Amino acid sequence: MSGIAIAIFGATLCALLGGTGSAIGVMAAGRAAAGVTSEKPELFGKMLVLQALPGTQGIYGFLIAVLVMVNVGLLGGTPADLTVAEGWAYFFATLPMAIVGLTSGVAQGLTAASAIHMTGKQPDASGKGITMTALVETYAILALLTSILLIFSL
Amino acid sequence: MIAPMKKVSVVCMKEDRDKLLTSLQHSELIMITSSEEGLLGSDTLSSRRQTKIAELLKELDKYSKKKGLFNSTDVELKDFEKISDKDVELCEELEEKFSKKENLSSSLTKLKEKNLKFSGWESLTSDLSLLSNTKYSVILTGVFPVNKYEVFKETSFETELSFVKVSADEKVVRVILTFLKEDEQSVRNILATYSFEEVVLPVKTGTIKEEKEKTEKEIIKTEELLNKVNSEIEDIAKSSRVDLETLFEKFRARAERSEVRLLETVETVLVEGFVKEADTENLKKVIGEAVDVFDAEFYDPEEDEEVPTALNNGKFTSQFESITEMFNAPSYKGFDPNAVMAPWYWIIFGMMMGDAGYGLMMAVLIFLAKKIMKPKGSTEKLMNVLFYSSFTTIIFGVLFGSYFGEELIPSVLPFTAMEDPVKMLLVTIVVGVLHIFTGMIVKIVLNVKAGHIADAIFDQVSWMMIIAGIGLIFIAPLQKVGMVIAIVGALIVLFTAGRSKKGVVGKAVGGLVGLYGITSYFSDILSYSRILALGLATGVVGMVMNMLAGMIQGNIIGFILSLVIYVVGHVFNLVLGLLSAYVHDCRLQYIEFYGKFYEGGGKPFRPFKIRTNYINIKKD
Repeated sequence: MSGIAIAIFGATLCALLGGTGSAIGVMAAGRAAAGVTSEKPELFGKMLVLQALPGTQGIYGFLIAVLVMVNVGLLGGTPADLTVAEGWAYFFATLPMAIVGLTSGVAQGLTAASAIHMTGKQPDASGKGITMTALVETYAILALLTSILLIFSL
Repeated sequence: MIAPMKKVSVVCMKEDRDKLLTSLQHSELIMITSSEEGLLGSDTLSSRRQTKIAELLKELDKYSKKKGLFNSTDVELKDFEKISDKDVELCEELEEKFSKKENLSSSLTKLKEKNLKFSGWESLTSDLSLLSNTKYSVILTGVFPVNKYEVFKETSFETELSFVKVSADEKVVRVILTFLKEDEQSVRNILATYSFEEVVLPVKTGTIKEEKEKTEKEIIKTEELLNKVNSEIEDIAKSSRVDLETLFEKFRARAERSEVRLLETVETVLVEGFVKEADTENLKKVIGEAVDVFDAEFYDPEEDEEVPTALNNGKFTSQFESITEMFNAPSYKGFDPNAVMAPWYWIIFGMMMGDAGYGLMMAVLIFLAKKIMKPKGSTEKLMNVLFYSSFTTIIFGVLFGSYFGEELIPSVLPFTAMEDPVKMLLVTIVVGVLHIFTGMIVKIVLNVKAGHIADAIFDQVSWMMIIAGIGLIFIAPLQKVGMVIAIVGALIVLFTAGRSKKGVVGKAVGGLVGLYGITSYFSDILSYSRILALGLATGVVGMVMNMLAGMIQGNIIGFILSLVIYVVGHVFNLVLGLLSAYVHDCRLQYIEFYGKFYEGGGKPFRPFKIRTNYINIKKD
């Protein structure tokens, strides 16, 4: 495999796993939100915010993928002639976001679903539910930062 | 600031109960303490009407949806207590229409069922009265399953039994059977073994064809009537929905007045509650205008009483109150953190968004939304928070040199987050340290005020020394100073963290465990790196949108498409960025900042007032 193919492998993995994590997370939250909304349609706005929270991992994964593409000259430039070692360096740099994107997306979705159930019973507690859900995202943000710093340093 | 409160008890004559409560409900000055042994008011009709209208509105939803997300109807407060006969008539008319609709659709179902029973029997052209039983014989109409009929047809029976096949389809064969009355029981037994099912035709006289035509005509007529009723309801839904909504609010306000439980004597009622000290005179005036004979007493709440917390902040700070309330309202005797939190929330929000273009978009869109939606209460406050934050977003955008994800004008800082994220990371960590220090300084002030000077030194000053000292170690000329400060701080923690424990061993272990607290400070400070991450996320997604739009800008069609990408992409990114910044800014305040000093645990002051879902009450 040439260096650039390995770098692309990393980029796609990021978009792929981050997207999958978010899709599962948003699905879990969405199912809970649909249940609550059927009983209390007036809570739709609050439900939407909570359901959207696990969606960020997909964005972060996409973001890393784009950063890799820009860095290796795939977007708006000529592709760089990476060595195999450089390719692997990009690949490893994307791993934190790819893996944590998947796991934290799912985990955050499950937390969001619980927060949605709580908000259904106590609409005033939606702020607390949002905070609980956001705590999970911290680790996605740390992984994003790790990947960004690594890619920028390459 | 937490507003000082007074307890109030108002006594008035029983017949003035509703007048008094109306004045209290309109003035929104008092939070009434409902007494469990108290009695409800006598106005049960309003509560029934309210439920009825709520049902009607729900039915009307099927005809025309509520328009938009916001309330567009304004009602003057002075008109709010007036209920016209016309409105009540509208209500009754609508009720009548719905019950008419109900009747029509149920008779339509019945007619359709009847019509269905004719099918398959159309070839029976003779008058149906011929099919009625005679003196000696029985005539049955009914169906066999196809396979059973084939067997039945070939079998001969001892009893006299003649049958005529009327029609057949894939599943059943329709027949008319004739037999003697005296054999009825045995014939029925035989038929049962062939899975015969009797079908009673819906009419006894006339021909099937005539009757079917008659029923079909009736169906058409009923459908026409139903459509007419439906369009009448639709007309009402379009023209008078707002009237109905207003009526609902009026009855609800009345019902809520009646649902307050108040202690009573034979002649008088007693209203107890809390009022802001500043509003006491105002409250007396309001009651005096409504009721002739009354007595209002104000006194200080008792020491152990749970007093609701009303906040009394300036215009800027008060907008951020709902953020604290979402976490935990301050307690009456506690400390209101909003004045210290608000500027930090404002600044950190700006750093998280960190784009002048998006800041400008926020300012314009939220300004317009406020003008159009005219939000009230916590929604208005949230919008104001976002509106204020759009200015910090612009300021930090200019500082970072970020305009819709592009560096149109060079950054004022010597570096940008995109080029040198590590430097930016340091900036966010310094912001984090300053934020956390602010929280600790507040705690020091609170401790000193409470007379716990030692606690302030041992628990806050010591840690501030450790953190500041470690920070200074990274600045070359101050390395030694930093080290000394950090070590002194660490020694204070080591020797004092276990001071509440018993015995020398307990104190020593307590000190070591206390020093382990460095990990929690470390993770708190690192948590601020999310400011960089979110800023970068907004910037990079914005950049991608620009790149995508730039790629297709070859010809005119491409140019138009690129405009669509610019608009949709940047709005999408803005909404996403707003959600993230709002949520993560809140988190930094709740966990990293409030964790250092804030206790909360209060009950917010919620005055007795008119609650509305559909309309806005306008006061003059």
